[in-house]
Amino acid sequence: MMEVKQKKYISLWQVIKRECKRLVSRPLYLFCMVIAPLFCYIFFTSLMESGLPKNLPIGAVDLDNSSTSRSILRNLDAFEQSQIVARYESFDEARIAMQRGDIYGFFYIPEELASKAISGRQPKISYYTNNSYLIAGSLLFKDMKMMSELAGGAVARATLYAKGATKDQAMAALQPIVIDTHPLNNPWLNYSVYLCNTLVPGVLMLLIFMTTVYSIGVEIKDRTAREWLRIGNNSMYISLAGKLMPQTVVFFIMSIFYNVYLYGYLHFPCNSGISPMILASLLLVLASQACGVVMIGTLPTLRLGLSFASLWGVVSFSISGFSFPVMAMHPILQALSNLFPLRHYFLIYVDQALNGYSMAYSWINYTALLLFIMLPFTIMHRLKSALIYYKYVP
Amino acid sequence: MKEVTIKDKISQGIQDLFYIWKREFRTTFRDQGVLIFFILVPLLYPLLYGFIYTNEVVREVPTIVVDDSRSSQSREFIRKVDATSDVEIKSYCSNMEEAKQMMKDRKAYGLIYIPNHFSRDIAQGKQTQVSIYCDMSGLLYYKSILISATAVSLNMNKNIKISRAGNTTNRQDEITAHPIEYEDVAIFNPQNGFAAFLIPAVLILLIQQTLLLGIGLSAGTAREHNRFKDLVPINRHYNGTLRIVFGKGLSYFMVYSIVAVYVLCVVPRIFNLNQIGLPSTLILFMLPYLAACIFFAMTASIAIRNRETCMLIFVFTSVPLLFISGISWPGAAIPDFWRYVSYIFPSTFGINGFVRINNMGATLNEVTVEYQALWLQAGFYFLTTCWVYRWQIISSRKHVLNKYKEMKAKEQLASREITE
Repeated sequence: MMEVKQKKYISLWQVIKRECKRLVSRPLYLFCMVIAPLFCYIFFTSLMESGLPKNLPIGAVDLDNSSTSRSILRNLDAFEQSQIVARYESFDEARIAMQRGDIYGFFYIPEELASKAISGRQPKISYYTNNSYLIAGSLLFKDMKMMSELAGGAVARATLYAKGATKDQAMAALQPIVIDTHPLNNPWLNYSVYLCNTLVPGVLMLLIFMTTVYSIGVEIKDRTAREWLRIGNNSMYISLAGKLMPQTVVFFIMSIFYNVYLYGYLHFPCNSGISPMILASLLLVLASQACGVVMIGTLPTLRLGLSFASLWGVVSFSISGFSFPVMAMHPILQALSNLFPLRHYFLIYVDQALNGYSMAYSWINYTALLLFIMLPFTIMHRLKSALIYYKYVP
Repeated sequence: MKEVTIKDKISQGIQDLFYIWKREFRTTFRDQGVLIFFILVPLLYPLLYGFIYTNEVVREVPTIVVDDSRSSQSREFIRKVDATSDVEIKSYCSNMEEAKQMMKDRKAYGLIYIPNHFSRDIAQGKQTQVSIYCDMSGLLYYKSILISATAVSLNMNKNIKISRAGNTTNRQDEITAHPIEYEDVAIFNPQNGFAAFLIPAVLILLIQQTLLLGIGLSAGTAREHNRFKDLVPINRHYNGTLRIVFGKGLSYFMVYSIVAVYVLCVVPRIFNLNQIGLPSTLILFMLPYLAACIFFAMTASIAIRNRETCMLIFVFTSVPLLFISGISWPGAAIPDFWRYVSYIFPSTFGINGFVRINNMGATLNEVTVEYQALWLQAGFYFLTTCWVYRWQIISSRKHVLNKYKEMKAKEQLASREITE
C-alpha cells in the first residue's frame, strides 16, 4: 500500500521535472508566460498614465468676434479637458479639420451673438462633438454643455448684478437646482483604474488559455503523449497535475506581480485589502488552466484547440462587461457571459477592490470560479484516449 | 553554354510568379488551419462582435432613490428622471443604509439622494443640491445617470426661473429660460453608439490580425514540411526573391480583396452602422492597407518555426493594438513613446483612416497622412519581405549544398572503402 502511494509521488515528481525541462527548452514558453504578460502590464498602465485625458484638441468657429464670444471661448479653453487649438472661419472648415482628425469637436458661435443676447433676441450657439471617438466625444460634450449653460447664465447674471443681487442670490436664481456627483471609489474618473484592473488579468487569462492548450496539444502533435503518460504512471490525474503545476506556479507569481504593481505601486483603489484580490487571482489562474484543459480535451487537434482558446480568450474582453455593460447586451449573451472566467473575476474585483464590500457578497462568483476548476474532471476520459489514440493530421 | 537574355529571364520570372501564386492559392484552400483564419474568422467574428454591441447604448440603468424631502417638487424630479430612457428608478429607500445595501446586492448601480431642505430651498430662492452616487464598475452607468439627472435639473431650473420671472408672454418665458439658446450635435455618431464607435476599428484590426495568423500558419507549415526546416522549398520555380514575394503576395491579396469587401461593406450594413464613405475613396485607401498588412505579415512570419506558434505570439497583440490605435483611448492622450511604437503597425493608420472615411465621410484629401503612411509601410515591408526571403533562399541553398557535400563525402568514403 505504502509503496503504491510512494510510486505515485515519485511519478508526479518525475512529470514535474520533465515539464520544467520542457518549459525552459523553448523560448516560446518564456515569451507566453513571462514576457508577453509583463509587456501588457507595462503597456496598458503607461498608455493610460494620465488617467483622464486632458486638453483634448477642439476648434472654435467665432463669427461674432465680440468681447462676449471671446470670453466664452476663453472660459471653454480654461476647462481641464478641452483645449482650443484652432479657430476656423466657417462650419465647413471646422468639419474638414474634424475629418482630418485635428480636433475632436468644435464650438460654433453665430454672428451677432452679443447684440442679440443683450436685446433679448435669443441667439443660438451650437457645439459639435465627434462621437466616433466615444471617450473623447463624451468628455468634450460635458465641458461644452457646461459652457453653453454658463454662457446663457453670464448674460442673466450681469442683469442680476446690475439689479443689486449678491453672488449667492444670483447663482440661486440662475441654477436653483445643482447636481452634486459622487463617482464612488473612483472620484477622479480615472480610465486607467476603470480599464486596467480587468485588461491586465484578462491578458494573463488569455495567455494561460493558450499556454495550457499548447503544452498539452503539442504532446499529441509530437507523439510524446504516450511517453508523458507513462512517466505519469499511466494516470491522467498524475500526468496532468505534474504538467500544470509548474505552469501554475509561474502564472501565480505573475498574477501576484500585477496585484502588487496595480495596488501597491500604482495605488489603484483597493478597499478590501490585497488578500481577497490575490485569492481571486489564484482562482482565475486555476480556472483559466482548467478551461484550457477542457478546450484541448474537446478539440484535441492543436490548431482547433488553440482557435477555441483564442476565440474564448478574445471574446472575454468584450463579454465580461467592463467596458460595455452586460446589462445592455442581448439576453442570450447575458447568460453566455457566465461561461467566461474573466466575467466572474471582474465582478469580484468590483465588489472587493473597488467597492470594498465583504467577500460574502460575491460568493456566487467565487463558486463559479471553483466550478470552472472542477470542469476538467468531466473531460479526463476523453483527453486520455486522445493522448493515446489521437493522431495529428496537419 | 546558352546565353540567357534579360527577356528570357523576365518571362521565366513571370511564369514562376504565377506558378508560385497558383501553388500558394492551392495550399491556402487545402489547409484547414489557414482557412479558419482567412475565411471562418473574418466571416463570424464581426457578426459576434456586432451582436455583442448591437444595442449600442445602455438604457434604463437601475437606480434607487432616497427622498428625504418628500415634496411635490422632489417627486417631480424623480418622476422626470424615471421618464428618461437612460435611467429606471428601481425602488425608493427610506434611508442611505438601506440604499447602500441594495447597491451591495447589485440591485442598483446608482443612487439619487434628495435632501430634506430641497423644496424649502427652492421656495426660499436658495440654491439646492441633489446628490447622485454612482457605482464606478462601468463608466456608462455613470454617464447615463449623470446625463439624465443633469437634463432633469436643467429642465426644472427652467420652469422655476420662468415662474419666478412673472412674464406675460411665452416668448418672454423662453428668453428668461435661455437668453442664449444652445444645441448639441453628436456629429458622425448621432446615436452615441458603442458599436458605431468600436466595430469599425475592430473590423480593420481583424484584417491585419487574421493575415498575420494565416500567413504565419502557412509559413510554419512550410517549415515543418521542409527537410531542413526552411521556409523556401527546394524547387526550380522558387529561384528568385521577387517572384516568391509577388507570387505569394498576389494570392493573399486576391483572397483578402474579397474578405475586405465582406468585412468592410457587408458587416456594417448588417448592423446598420454608419457608412458614409465614398466607395472609390474606400477602395483606394484599402489598397495600400492590404498591401502593407500582407507584406508586414510575410515579414513577421519569418519568426514562426512551427505551424501553431503563430497563434501564441499574435493573438494577444490584438488587445494592445486596438488601444494603441487611438480609437478607444483618444490619440491625443497617448504618450509619445507609444505613439511612435504604433507607427510600426499598419493597423494604426488603417483604423484611423477607415474610421474617418467610413464614419465621417472623409475623402483622400483628409486622410493624406494615413494614406501616405500606408504606402510608405507597404514599400518598407515589401523591402523587408524581399530581404528576409532572400536570406531564406540563401540559407536554404546552403543547407542543400551542405547536405550534398556530406553525401558526396560519404560516397567517396564508401567507394574508397570498396576499392581498398
